[in-house]
Amino acid sequence: MQIIEEISKNRINKSASGSILQKICLDKLQLNPLPNHKSEIWRMANKSKLARFLDYKINHDFYKPNIPYENESQKVIRLIIGDHKKINIKEQEWEIKELDDQKILNLIQHKLLESDSTQNWSALLNHLLTNEKNICGLNIKGRNLPHLEIITNSKNNLFNSRTLIINIEKNTEVEISQINLGDDNSSLSNSSYLYLEEDSQVNHGIVSYGKYKSHLINSLNVFQKKNSVYNLGSLQFKFDFGRLEININQIEGNAKTNIKGMQITQDNEQISTYAKIAFNGPNGFLDQLNKSLARDRSHSVFEGLIVVPRIAQKTDASQLSRNLLLSNYAKIDTKPQLEIIADDVKCMHGATISQLNENELFYMRSRGLTLEQASKLQLRSYYQEIISFLPISKERWDLLALLLKNK
Amino acid sequence: MKSKKETKKPLLEIHDLFASTENLTILKGVNISINPGEIHAIMGRNGCGKSTLSKIIAGHPSYEITGGKIKLSGTDIEPLEPEERAQSGIFLGFQYPIEIPGVSNLEFLRVATNARRKFLKKEELDTFEFEDLVKEKLEIVKMEPTFLNRSINQGFSGGEKKRNEILQMALLEPKIAILDETDSGLDIDALRIVASGIKKIANENCGIILITHYQRLLDEIKPDFVHVMANGKIIKTGNSELALELEKNGYEWTDKFIDKT
Repeated sequence: MQIIEEISKNRINKSASGSILQKICLDKLQLNPLPNHKSEIWRMANKSKLARFLDYKINHDFYKPNIPYENESQKVIRLIIGDHKKINIKEQEWEIKELDDQKILNLIQHKLLESDSTQNWSALLNHLLTNEKNICGLNIKGRNLPHLEIITNSKNNLFNSRTLIINIEKNTEVEISQINLGDDNSSLSNSSYLYLEEDSQVNHGIVSYGKYKSHLINSLNVFQKKNSVYNLGSLQFKFDFGRLEININQIEGNAKTNIKGMQITQDNEQISTYAKIAFNGPNGFLDQLNKSLARDRSHSVFEGLIVVPRIAQKTDASQLSRNLLLSNYAKIDTKPQLEIIADDVKCMHGATISQLNENELFYMRSRGLTLEQASKLQLRSYYQEIISFLPISKERWDLLALLLKNK
Repeated sequence: MKSKKETKKPLLEIHDLFASTENLTILKGVNISINPGEIHAIMGRNGCGKSTLSKIIAGHPSYEITGGKIKLSGTDIEPLEPEERAQSGIFLGFQYPIEIPGVSNLEFLRVATNARRKFLKKEELDTFEFEDLVKEKLEIVKMEPTFLNRSINQGFSGGEKKRNEILQMALLEPKIAILDETDSGLDIDALRIVASGIKKIANENCGIILITHYQRLLDEIKPDFVHVMANGKIIKTGNSELALELEKNGYEWTDKFIDKT
């Protein structure tokens, strides 16, 4: 594991301007360079795949990704992290400008200082290995903004690290899609921070898809102030090792979070989603659905945790995990959990694991559809629920076609 | 002198059919022959094997044929998959049509219709051509075009589901249509719409099997033959008068026809 060796031997380049953050991360990681496999959020992680993730040479250079869909339009602003494109746009109703280094430091320093190398190992590693060229910080305000499409990508035989920090000002409404593209035999580490001020709304889509032996760790940290609405749709597929860590903090309660996510695994892949939603005030709302579909000898993991302390009275939270197991050799681990101290709350969680519905298949076959056509239609309906929640238009990214083509 | 119907070759022949599921024998020697243009009613107590017979003809994978033959136009259909049977012209109208969330009714009907058309060596229909066809067929079952944009049977009332089945029958133009308790759960008006739809679709080239418990469907669609099933076989066959006798005397009256051996 090249990267761990470099951390342990203190050979990581600390000369970049983000060195305050890097120093914090390095100190923490030198104590525990690898995640603790006994901890809840790492016990399912495949050790050899994690080792492979850490076994590429660190790359700070930009390589333009091969993007199959149309470029920027009037309705869409496309950013590729690392390509040095500056963005400072001010229109009548809205404004997007880059955050300066000090503001970035202010936003994430406290988060990193209180991070520990078990719960936040992915974020610590990301900040340690991301140089300033690969950090994108944005401040967004206003309404009727164009869709913001942010792309991160890896290059084959290299370890690539990107960080995204977005501050969403009061009363702002914005749609953001993040596309993480994994190259053959590569690793991509991505950390995102979204700060939602009061009365703001973000419709956020994260789509991650790789190629042959792509590896990804994507950590997402969302901080919601009161009366904010955060909608997240996520989709992960085609990663030999893929991991999405969602941390949502309703700082003052009185906020709404809706999450619909899906991960699809095949061959020998392992894809996981960890979601921790913490309510730190009353009247918080969560509606979360995580779907997975596992084929061949693959492994899909979902671990969810809803934390409702005493202060979070009248919380209304639901976390469901629905899974399709399409092979006798595939494996699905799912564990939605509640940690409730407040006594006046409405919380539910649940999980199902099933196979394609035999009655539905027979019904379609009895009308002349082949087993393949019927299965495809069933899968299409399974996928559609999540895809329709993503704020990404079919014209720009035909995700359904990608998924149906996948296998 | 033989009637015109009798000179035709049977569309569906079921000969000494035995079938089981999960090691339980359900059909124990069913014999039936259906000629083009004929309407047969199958009646019998709950659990006598009527629905099982319909599913076995349609090729439900949970059932195994352990003896006998089913032939469609002289060809043994046992080796055929359910979709091949449907493409060949067998249609099963479900007692409980399945809801499939997220799958558009229109898309499903188009794929199904084209699968049948392909088998019949007819040109497949593109989206626009199919919309014209389906709108024409919708009138048969008095359905609004908005049904097409919904997911298959999702949120449909009982009557709407049954009408959707008859719409599918109209589109697929089957050789043999087996309608399993199509009348169950229908109010009088819906029953009339469904019955009228079936009569419009029925023609001299198509055979129909109506599985039912009630005379009221047979008041609307007069069958040529009525069969009574008990214990996995047909124990009595007659004309439409037999259904009236059943209505009057109940199934106990037919017990005397059960072969106790």
